[in-house]
Formats: sequence, C-alpha cells, structure tokens
Amino acid sequence: MADITPHSLQQRAVQEERGRLNVLLLGPTSPRRSPQSAGTTSARDFKAYAGSLGMVAAAMLIGLLLRRYGISNVALVFLTAVLSSAVTYGLWPSLFACLAAVLAYNFFFLPPYYTFTIAAPENVVALFFFMVVALVASWLSSRVRAQAVSARERAATTENLYLFSRKLAGVFTLDDLLWAAAFQFAQMLKLRVVILLPDARTLSVRAGYPPEDMLDEADIAAATWVFEHASPAGRGADTLPGSKRLFLPMRTGRGVVGIVGLDSDRPGPLLTPDQRRLFDALSDQAALAIERVNLSEDIERTRLAAETERLRSALLTSISHDLRTPLASILGSATTLRSQHGNLDARAQDELVGTIQEEAERLNRFIANLLDMTRLESGALSPQLDFVDLGDIAGSAMRRASSVLAHHQVRVEISADLPMLRLDPVLFEQVLFNLLDNAAKYTPPGSTIELRAVRLDNQVRVDVSDEGEGIPAGDVERIFDKFYRVQAIDRKRAGTGLGLAICRGFVEAMGGTIRAANRRDRCGALLIITLPVPAEQPRERAA
Amino acid sequence: MSGHAPLQRVLIVDDEPPIRRFLRTGLSSQGYQTVEAEDGPSARNALRQNAVDVVVLDLGLPGLDGFEIIRELREQGSTVPILVLSSRTDETGKVRALDLGADDYVTKPFGMDELLARLRAALRHRLQQQGERPIFRVDDLAVDLVRRIVSVRDGEVKLTPREYDILRTLMAHAGKVLTHRLLMREVWGTETDVAYLRIYIRTLRQKLEADPDRPQLILTEQGVGYRLKAPE
Repeated sequence: MADITPHSLQQRAVQEERGRLNVLLLGPTSPRRSPQSAGTTSARDFKAYAGSLGMVAAAMLIGLLLRRYGISNVALVFLTAVLSSAVTYGLWPSLFACLAAVLAYNFFFLPPYYTFTIAAPENVVALFFFMVVALVASWLSSRVRAQAVSARERAATTENLYLFSRKLAGVFTLDDLLWAAAFQFAQMLKLRVVILLPDARTLSVRAGYPPEDMLDEADIAAATWVFEHASPAGRGADTLPGSKRLFLPMRTGRGVVGIVGLDSDRPGPLLTPDQRRLFDALSDQAALAIERVNLSEDIERTRLAAETERLRSALLTSISHDLRTPLASILGSATTLRSQHGNLDARAQDELVGTIQEEAERLNRFIANLLDMTRLESGALSPQLDFVDLGDIAGSAMRRASSVLAHHQVRVEISADLPMLRLDPVLFEQVLFNLLDNAAKYTPPGSTIELRAVRLDNQVRVDVSDEGEGIPAGDVERIFDKFYRVQAIDRKRAGTGLGLAICRGFVEAMGGTIRAANRRDRCGALLIITLPVPAEQPRERAA
Repeated sequence: MSGHAPLQRVLIVDDEPPIRRFLRTGLSSQGYQTVEAEDGPSARNALRQNAVDVVVLDLGLPGLDGFEIIRELREQGSTVPILVLSSRTDETGKVRALDLGADDYVTKPFGMDELLARLRAALRHRLQQQGERPIFRVDDLAVDLVRRIVSVRDGEVKLTPREYDILRTLMAHAGKVLTHRLLMREVWGTETDVAYLRIYIRTLRQKLEADPDRPQLILTEQGVGYRLKAPE
C-alpha cells in the first residue's frame, strides 16, 4: 500500500491509456514531487484533511441523533463519511477520515461510552472489520477519483494540444510559427521560454515568451551542446547544469530542428515529469511544424532557382536565336556578293545589300534592348528627369522609328493643352520607340498605328494602339515579362521579347505606369501609359 | 571633282581597324582623302604632319581619350571641324564633347549616308562662317537675315524676338546639332532652365512646321539638343 500514491496511480492510469491516447513517456520519471507543487498541495491537503474531519464529525452527530431514537448501530454512517471523503479528497484524506471514524466510533458508540476501551469482544471484532471495510472502500473510491481527475486533465491537455496543432497548421512563416510555439510553451508550462534555431553556422534566438533575444555564453554553450547531442542540457540536467536555462531539443525523424530554452524564477527543477511529457508533446508538434515550414521554404528556393534557370536559358535561347539569325543573313549575303559577284544582276546585288543593312539594323536594335535591360537590372539606370514636351519626344521617336514604320500609317493626336511633363527624354523616347516598333511588328503592313496623348486631371495618358490581332486573353500582363513573346502564327518578325519589359522598367523608373489591353472599338492591341502631371510648371524668369 | 577643287582631307581616329577600313573606303569613294590614326598620340602626330580639313574622332580611344584631343585642338586655336563617333547610351559624353568644341556627332553604329551628311554640314558651316548668305532657305522656310523677315510657304510668320534669336542661332549652325547649353547661352546670354527652351521650340514648331507633331525642320536630338535641317 505504501507505493500507492496519487501520483503513481495517475502514472499507472496514464500507462494503461498510453496505447490509445498516444501519451508520451520520455525521460526519467522521478516520483519526487517538486517543491512548488508540494507547496500548493499542502494547502489543498489541509483543506482536504479538515474536510474529511468535518465529514466524520457530521457522521458522528448523525450517529448521536440516531442513538437518541434507539438506533445504536451507526457503523454505516461513518462508512458513508469515509467514502465521501475518498470520493471528494482522494486516498490520504480518506485514510485520515478512516482513522478519525474508527476513533470516534469507538469513543462515542462502543460501550463503555466516552472511553477508548471496548468492553464486549464482539465489538472489537466489529470495529476491526469496520476498519478493514473503511480502508478498502476508501482505497477503491479514491482510485476511481484519481482516474476521473487524470482523465479530466488529459482531456484538457489533449484539447490544448489539438488547438496548438490547429494553430501551427495555419502558420506559414517561420517567425509566426516560432512565436506561436513560444507562447504556447510558456502558457502551458508556466515558464519563460526561448526558441533557438540553427543558422548557417550558429544557433540564434528566434523567438521568446516573454520576448528575449540575448543569451549569455553559458546558455549558448548549453544550447549548442543540445543541438549537437540531441539530449537535454543546462539547469537541472546532467550536462552543463550551471547555465541559467534548461535546454531541450525539438526533434523530428530527420534530426534536431531547434532548441527550446526554459527558465523560471522559482528554485528547483523546472519541469515535473507530467510537464516534461507535456513539453515533449508540444515540442514534437512544433518540431514537425518547423520542419514543414523549412521544407516549404526549400521548395520555394528551389522554385526560384528553377525560375532563374528558366530565365537564363530563355536568355541564351533568345540571344543565340536573335544574334544568329541576322548574322546568318548578313554573312550569307556578304559571301554571296563576294563569290557570285559576276553572276548577279544589279537588282540581285541590291537585294543582298539591302538584306545586310536591314539585318544589321535589327541586330543593332536587339543589342540596344539587351543593353537597356542590363541597365535596368543592374540598377544603373538613373532617370534624368526634366520638364519636357511630350510632342517633341513623340516626334523624335517617330523619326527614329521611321524605317520600322515604313509600311504603316501613323496617326498622332497630342492634345494642345498638354502640360510639360517631368520625364527623362532619352528614356521616354526609347519607350515610345519600343511601342511603335512593337506595334509595327505585330500588325499587317498598311495598317494604322495611333499615338494619342490626353490630359486626365493630374495625369497624362498616352495610348499606342494598333490594328493587329490584339493580345491573347490572359497575356495582357505576361507581355511585360522578359523574353515573353506572343505566339504569332507568322513568326518571321518575332522580336526580342525585351521591348515591353524595358518599357515597363523605364516608365516605372520615371514614376508612371504602363499596362496593356485590347481595343474596344475594333480588333487591336492598346498600350496605355499614365504619367503624373508635375505639381508646378516651369515659368520663364525675367531674363 | 578632283580636277577642280582640292581634295578635302579627313583624319580618321579610331582604334578599330574594321571601322577605319570602312570609313577609308566610303570616304575615298566620295572624293575625300583620308589619313588614319589608331590612338591619341598618333592622332596628334597626324595633325602635326598634315593639313587636315575635318576630323572624325572616336570618343572611346585607349590611352589619351577623344575629349582630350578636342580640348587640345581648341586650346591651340584650331577651328578644324570635329565629328565625334559615340555610343548610343552615352548622351552625357556627346554633350561633353560638343561643349568642348566638337562640331557634331554620329552614334555608332551608323550608316555611311548619315556620316557623309554630318561631314558635309560640318564643312559647309566652316564656309558659311566666312560669308553668311542674306537669305536662308530650307524646305518651305525662308528667312531674310537682313530684314529679319520669316516666311513659310510664302506667308510671313510673326516671331517674338526670342523666337527669332533661337531660329537665328539654329540657322547659323544649320545641319549641326546645338546643345541645349550652347543655345541658351547664345539666346539668353546665360544658362536658363532647359524647360523654357523646350517651350520656345514648341511654339516655334507650331509656327514653322507643317505638322508640329512630326517636325521636319527643327529636329530634336533627345538628351543632347536641337538641329535645324540643313539647306540642300
């Protein structure tokens, strides 16, 4: 009977339930109570013993009352008090009640009254069996009570764990996850908590409740030891017990993912075995969640790397295609001119020379695009903003684009009340050039390209529209991607896939926006630039 | 041509042999005599040993750079026209070369036609300075420089004094690019805000151009300056 304590009972109950409830029993299970739990238990104990005594006293009063009516066998009344004490307060108070009941029964109800001596031998036997029955009954009912209590506690813990796992499942960034875990540890264990994660080389504090971000060297050493050996270290542990905190590993099947540091102002061990089990359950969940987030970050990194790789190969494909094609034409034409000179009539010669020129110009445009893109990507672009006249820029852009626009009509409508805009004239000319070049590339010869600029409140809107097939649905955003080309049936005038990406980069660098749409009035693409109207317009000083 | 006028001698300064070769071929076929130099020091030597009528100068030379050559020439008081070869994205380099005293620029890569036109304008400008013509005509525009009368398609156009000053400066350098700075210094006597210049150019175009949105007379060299179309 000596080893039947509430604690061991609970432990047994837990062991019995282990299979079903997945309660974890890890680490040493010391039966010794921690001082702080002893402290709180003693107050509770006092109440329990006093309550038990009260119950026995009540039984005694009822017994005295019954005796007045001639009923002298009151053993069952006392038994009831002992049972009540067992159900209400547990084993020890009920044993105390048992003792008190035996003494009171003997003193008040077994003749001679008001002495502890017992005259009749049959009463000695009766008292003995009363005591046996009371002891067995109190043991049985306190066991029932202990089971009920531990079931209730388990239910509460399970509920908390379930809520915790739900919370972790909804968290996608490592920081949120760690803060949630630290909070949960701190709340359920009533301790201060820090969580450390391995960086490239060292461990660093990533979360804490209450917030904490510095650890002293002893703590770092203990945490590092824990990370390397995957077993506890620090306060109250076998290794490095001198450090302020107790460090415990958070493990998954793949190894230690993080370290939890616990501390408290209370002296003595930080975790009771129950709390240790609870900690293990919490830390297993947190570890799995950390691993999940780490894995998803790995996947994201892999995806990014693949994306970069895709862009690089698109660049290589584009460069090798866009550089080789014109070079092939140039080289072919030049060698033909040289070797077949005598066999070629004037028209054929002129055609070959024309090809050389056109292809060289195309090559030049491509390289210019590559350079612009490089300037944008390297961050070397610093727009020289200045007050400019949009019509002036449109005019010079059209002059530069005159050879690519040779087979198209261009209609320009720039409203006369347009204010001066703050733009980099060179960059904006390039934007308009690219848009005109693009429009010419994707529309049939003879069609009209329109360039229109109007003021809308504090914005100027510049539209470039064409009469081509328009932009396939779903591509209106993608056409601004690098190396994206609309899949044209006629691929012979395919561009570099850079022009619009450059337009967007330049326009945004000058504080404007650019987007694409399809025309409403007819079939065709519409590129829309909006530019802010500067707050002040230049005024000529008296010169 | 060679029988009458003396051959005009062009100094080609470029470190790239293919560029020199194509310039030599193209210019010789147009009746120019060519002298070549591959870097700054050899350009200096060539200038010392030859009477050169015009210099075609690459800005990106190894060692002594193109800007240095322009500076030296102008400091020595030489008025030989200098035509600069520059790269596309280098507007500041172009402006710097022009402000140092270069006459014009061509952006690499360029066509022979463009280079020849610039070369002719630079050489013509030199002749023009020696004797200004009283009537300036290009396309539909006619300006009587003595009476200060501007007409477009035979109709007189009223210009404000400042507009006329800008036009007059452009006419004096017709066919050549003028940097914003140079124009402002000539017209305002000081460097004012480029924005005012742009406003004046807009009104000038509205008065002189057939289609102000597609100017044919006053051409913009974006980021550099303006160029008035040269008379035929």
